[in-house]
Amino acid sequence: MSAPQPLLDVREIEVRYGAIRALKGVSFSVGAGEVVALLGANGAGKTTTQKTVSGMLRPVAGTIEFEGRRIDGTPAHKLVDLGICHVPEGRHVFPRMTVAENLDMGAFRFKQPDPADLERVLELFPRLKERYGQHSGTLSGGEQQMLAIGRALMGKPRLLLLDEPSMGLAPLIVAQIFDIVREINRSGVTVLLVEQNASQALSLADRGYVLETGDIVLEGAGRDLLADERVRAAYLGEEIAAS
Amino acid sequence: MTTADSRALAKRLLACLVGGLVLAVMWGPQEGSQNDYYFELRTSLGFPRVLIFLGIGVVVFLAMTFWPVLRPFLSRPGVWPFLSGLLAVLAGQTLMHWYDPLGDGKFGTVATAVSQTKGISALTSAYFGWLAWTELALVVVLCAVGIALRLRLAAWIGGALAVIAAVLTWYAQHSVVAKGGGIDHSLGWGAVVVGYLVIAFAAGVIALSDAQVATGRAFADRLLGWRPGLPLVIAGVVLGLLAFYVGRWFAPSSTQYNTDFGGLHAVFAPTALASWAMAYLSWAGWVLLPVAVVLAGIAAYLRSRPLAWVAAAVGTLAAIYTLATLYEFSKIAARVAPTFGSTWQNLGTGGWMACGAFLLLGGAGYVAATAESAPQQGSEEAATVSPAAPAQVADEARSRSFLTAPGAARSLVIATIAFALFYPPTATSFWQSVLVSEIGIYVLLAVGLNVVVGWAGLLDLGFIAFFAIGSYTTAYLTNSLPIHPPSWLVLPPLAAIPFAVVICLIAGVLLGAPTLRLRGDYLAIVTLGFGEIIRIIANNADAITNGSRGTAVDPSRGVNNVPHPSIHIGPLHITWGLNQLQYWYLLLVLVVIVVVLFRRLENSRLGRAWAAIREDEVAAQATGMNTFRVKLLAFAIGASTSGLAGVFFGSYIGFFTPDNFVLNNSILVVAYVVFGGMGSLPGAMAGAALLTWLPEFLKNQVPAPDRQMWIGAVVLLMMIFRPAGLLPARRRRIELSADHLEEASSAETIAVPSHVGGAV
Ligand SMILES: Nc1ncnc2c1ncn2[C@@H]1O[C@H](COP(=O)(O)OP(=O)(O)OP(=O)(O)O)[C@@H](O)[C@H]1O
Ligand SMILES: [Mg+2]
Repeated sequence: MSAPQPLLDVREIEVRYGAIRALKGVSFSVGAGEVVALLGANGAGKTTTQKTVSGMLRPVAGTIEFEGRRIDGTPAHKLVDLGICHVPEGRHVFPRMTVAENLDMGAFRFKQPDPADLERVLELFPRLKERYGQHSGTLSGGEQQMLAIGRALMGKPRLLLLDEPSMGLAPLIVAQIFDIVREINRSGVTVLLVEQNASQALSLADRGYVLETGDIVLEGAGRDLLADERVRAAYLGEEIAAS
Repeated sequence: MTTADSRALAKRLLACLVGGLVLAVMWGPQEGSQNDYYFELRTSLGFPRVLIFLGIGVVVFLAMTFWPVLRPFLSRPGVWPFLSGLLAVLAGQTLMHWYDPLGDGKFGTVATAVSQTKGISALTSAYFGWLAWTELALVVVLCAVGIALRLRLAAWIGGALAVIAAVLTWYAQHSVVAKGGGIDHSLGWGAVVVGYLVIAFAAGVIALSDAQVATGRAFADRLLGWRPGLPLVIAGVVLGLLAFYVGRWFAPSSTQYNTDFGGLHAVFAPTALASWAMAYLSWAGWVLLPVAVVLAGIAAYLRSRPLAWVAAAVGTLAAIYTLATLYEFSKIAARVAPTFGSTWQNLGTGGWMACGAFLLLGGAGYVAATAESAPQQGSEEAATVSPAAPAQVADEARSRSFLTAPGAARSLVIATIAFALFYPPTATSFWQSVLVSEIGIYVLLAVGLNVVVGWAGLLDLGFIAFFAIGSYTTAYLTNSLPIHPPSWLVLPPLAAIPFAVVICLIAGVLLGAPTLRLRGDYLAIVTLGFGEIIRIIANNADAITNGSRGTAVDPSRGVNNVPHPSIHIGPLHITWGLNQLQYWYLLLVLVVIVVVLFRRLENSRLGRAWAAIREDEVAAQATGMNTFRVKLLAFAIGASTSGLAGVFFGSYIGFFTPDNFVLNNSILVVAYVVFGGMGSLPGAMAGAALLTWLPEFLKNQVPAPDRQMWIGAVVLLMMIFRPAGLLPARRRRIELSADHLEEASSAETIAVPSHVGGAV
């Protein structure tokens, strides 16, 4: 299953917030071109894991390798230069900038935004094209989420970290967003997806990991996990079928 | 009416009356005398004075109660100019000072004096006796009728009366001055004249406009944008005529040492004035003005770029020619009348006005030459949703709030430059020192703090500390402190600039590095502490800074006695001495350099990063910004500006104590930036200039204890009517104005440009 040289290889990382051990030795890998889902209850450490990968947090132990290079402890802005783009939890757009300016900001690491990228983002998200001159603070929640993803795409990501892109969105929009993530993945971007919406995430993902209070407790192919009783019980709200 | 309603009304009336009483007590000085502690209180609440204030309470009550009825009238055309003109007239006739040989008195004082003076024309005594208030009442009633009933005739008559009132005021003032003699410095009558002229304009609008709702903004936009550069031409013509026909020029041989331009030729003929300057007086000046006017006017009207460039060149060269002539004057003045002209002072107003007029005319040419062609509204209607178009339209919609007509902003900049260059020489030495030591320095500080607070969104309450560091660095490097630099490091003040700037930069980094991880309130508290620490160190580190004693300790050593700056480059030798003007121009150069640099910075990558961090730090980090470094740079760049101001301050003021760097000053700078409009470079400058100017201006207009009250009132009004600041930055305006948010958020507005150009 795992490629000989995974794009991202996380080994035994431990992250602390002061006295709190949020991650207690988490290991996983993401192969080039894969979609990998990270599942877990609230407070399990999913966001912490993503933030550690994107360089916003530093692990106290363990290693992270991207294309075989150690990146743990590298600050976030340098990782963006390597092509690790993070769409943080909770739709962080620049509210008083227009959609256009937000997208431009996404390409901050380049001198000029690439018009081809812009075209592609507006193709993926026709809504953004309609609202191109609007201030992003006045966009709807779903539109803001689209903008946040679109902005990350402007940075030509090789590994895209998505933290709960479906949070607070109507089912129809959630489905749209997942379709778009699939499309993004098809165009060659590797995706590490954090989701509460386990069924949709796992049907999209090639592989998945389940976190529980800072530990990986389950891993496997998306479909296998979707079928796993424990996952179904914990995240899909189903009773454990009487065995 | 229900009982609940009437009870609410009664409560409101009571509140208004109590408010009136409070105002009555607040008005004027409150302190009593030792024998009769309540004297002032009794006066302020005494009859009939208290009636006025109770009357104000009733007016407020009526206004509140009938607000729904009044409101629609307030948006009628002409109402706002009418009200502002009325305000000016009222301020002139109550608050401000009028000519009075015994010192400047209020209108009432002068009226009493006039009534007791014999031999004043009947018209003048009538004016001060009853006419002034009667005509004001008449004008107000007529205009109000014109507005409310849309009675054009009433408006026309009101307007005509207002013009007459303006002339009468001017006449009465001048006959009083002629009678009393001496020099008139009062401004009250000026406010009344201007107020009446504004009312006359408003009356014209009321009489001529058919609109239901005022479209003043759109009208002004259209007027200003009709022919870019033309407003400057008009200003130039007016100023030029004033310069040549009204302004006084230095004249060496008459007893008064001044005459108007027409008389100069004869007066200077016997002197050794250079022939080219003579030529200016005899014919060149007379020829240049019309030539510059006609060139600029035609260029602006025809929108002809080549001609506009010619006009720009002619105007600029004429301004230089005038200046050179003034220089020749000053050489003669230095011999004939040493108090005149030797330091460019007291050369009269006319010459500087002429310089200003030519600069405006040249500027008009420049604006006409560089203005974009008129915006083709409606042609974009073809609903091209190409990425660029809608954003551009939205941009237009947003920036409507201030001077959007093509060339208008640039014209304003040129007018400001002309004012900054040529007004100070005509000002009294009091205003010159205010310009340098208050306005100029605080403008520089505000521009620096704007980087930190406005652009990067970091609240710094200890900004003055960097100013202190800059000042003390200068003192050290000029060998003016108890500790001495090695002799090879002793520098003249101007050479200390790079050092002070670098040291403040480093200080900014040193303070920023540990503290910038804090956010919001925490950062504010830490910087506040830093500011105090620096001041207290300066106060207590006696052996280094000489503590709080300033120069008094040992003048022979020149402790804290920073030398004046000087420049010696090749043939150029300038030494700044006690002449305020020289400092003003030095400061102007520094401000211009800093502003030009910062404008570039604002639109640079770093500027965009600051904007992003201010908006959302997490998102900024996610797009690959080194947020820490970006914030640190804001801090350091702001600090270094402050250091520059410190060098200037140190060498200008000569000696200073830690008391120059108290917390209050830090807070004032923050207030200036917020008042002007956070994140807007023109805003920060205008805010600092206005709020440093206002207290000095009020010094002569209102009783000293009331000064803070008036400043508070101005700030309050500002917060109500322009919550985003005087000249808000584009983004802040969006944040604070709900109307704009709606306007910008409706997709229709953005897609259909013609809609955008509609009513405001
Ligand atoms: N800044 C912080 N300081 C202290 N503790 C934190 C901090 N951020 C997160 N934690 C703790 O670390 C643990 C993991 O948090 P994390 O945000 O990674 O959870 P999550 O899996 O993303 O949860 P959710 O699904 O609710 O977003 C939680 O117990 C949380 O309380
Ligand atoms: Mg989370």
